[in-house]
Amino acid sequence: MEKFDKTFPSKSFSWPPDKEWAIAGVVGSGNLEVLFERNTESPNTMECHVESSIPGYEDSWLAALEDFAANYPAGGTKVTIHDQGAAPIVVTFRLRQAYDHLLQKIS
Amino acid sequence: MKRASLYHEQTARKRIASLVDPGSFTELLPPPERVVSPYLPLLDIPVSFDDGLVIGRATLGGKPVYLAAQVGQFVGGSVGEVHSAKLTGILKAAARDAIPCLLLVESGGVRLHEGSSGEIGISEAMRAVFECRAKGVPTIAVIGADIGAYGGMGILVTCCDFRIMTEHGRLGISGPIVIEKWMGKQAYDSSNRALVWKTSGGKTKYLLNDADVLTHDDSASVGAAIGELLSKSQPITLGGLKTRQQELEKRLGDFGKTSDPEEIWKAFGIADIGEASLASGPEFVALAKRKTP
Repeated sequence: MEKFDKTFPSKSFSWPPDKEWAIAGVVGSGNLEVLFERNTESPNTMECHVESSIPGYEDSWLAALEDFAANYPAGGTKVTIHDQGAAPIVVTFRLRQAYDHLLQKIS
Repeated sequence: MKRASLYHEQTARKRIASLVDPGSFTELLPPPERVVSPYLPLLDIPVSFDDGLVIGRATLGGKPVYLAAQVGQFVGGSVGEVHSAKLTGILKAAARDAIPCLLLVESGGVRLHEGSSGEIGISEAMRAVFECRAKGVPTIAVIGADIGAYGGMGILVTCCDFRIMTEHGRLGISGPIVIEKWMGKQAYDSSNRALVWKTSGGKTKYLLNDADVLTHDDSASVGAAIGELLSKSQPITLGGLKTRQQELEKRLGDFGKTSDPEEIWKAFGIADIGEASLASGPEFVALAKRKTP
């Protein structure tokens, strides 16, 4: 198990009034779960916490998360990830999926 | 054309969303609460926010229900301490409030990593099922995912008032690999999917009366089947239990020596095994002559 935290600067996300959190994915082989939560204390950062069963890929994780924080307004969110060996593309996809849940674009 | 939403392909949360009235689901102990397994981190296994069980309340066709949906992908939908406590809690809430409880099952049984606490937990959940039944509160299990209901969950679902299955669902105690390990590949080849599904799949379980309903593998059909059962319950009586015991003894007499599940199908009026194998759940029901007790 490997655990790490990092906070990235990101443009402020405008939270829908009735949303406090959103989740995507499940913890299964080659998969992960991503939880977005509201973080009222820091409107211009995306605060990330990752727990992964596969050690040694912190650099890849941080690159994927940094990309996301740069590409989407995700400031004012706290992202928690439980991973069981997801490939980088799956990570990016799940982040976007959970983000879409926040925006209520998908049910 | 909009593709039908297949029940067995969905995640637990999707299953709930596709069954209940839109927007009516309120999750209890949702992910931000982080009620996670205290054991898995000690074994270096990642935890899940919901410990593989999504519970809550909703309405279905305007009627209130409590629900529990297992996440099959997370450690095989297995029942650990937190998972079982959530399951027991939702069943106890159903008994207390006299609101039907739906179990969307997808589990290999007790989570072996959590040993005795999982075993104890699942028996507490069974006791809670009987608490519902003693009060006439309907408990309905839906078994429609590939993992099925095995081990302790296989026992728990048979404690419920009703079981709804699809042809994808499987129901048993020991899983196919376990049987093969004990009895040998000659006796039971767990890699033979047709054999496994013909032994423990929804179609055979429907014939044997272990499943009350065999439905299409889509949420609309599963939802309709639930709707029909929501206002019904099966009281446990001494007479009823004796009748069930007689049925099981007769089943043992009829099929106890049978090594080929197709013989069971034939005994229930299935003439063309190939046709019945390819038939959908409701088509299969039409082909079979099930003896209802």
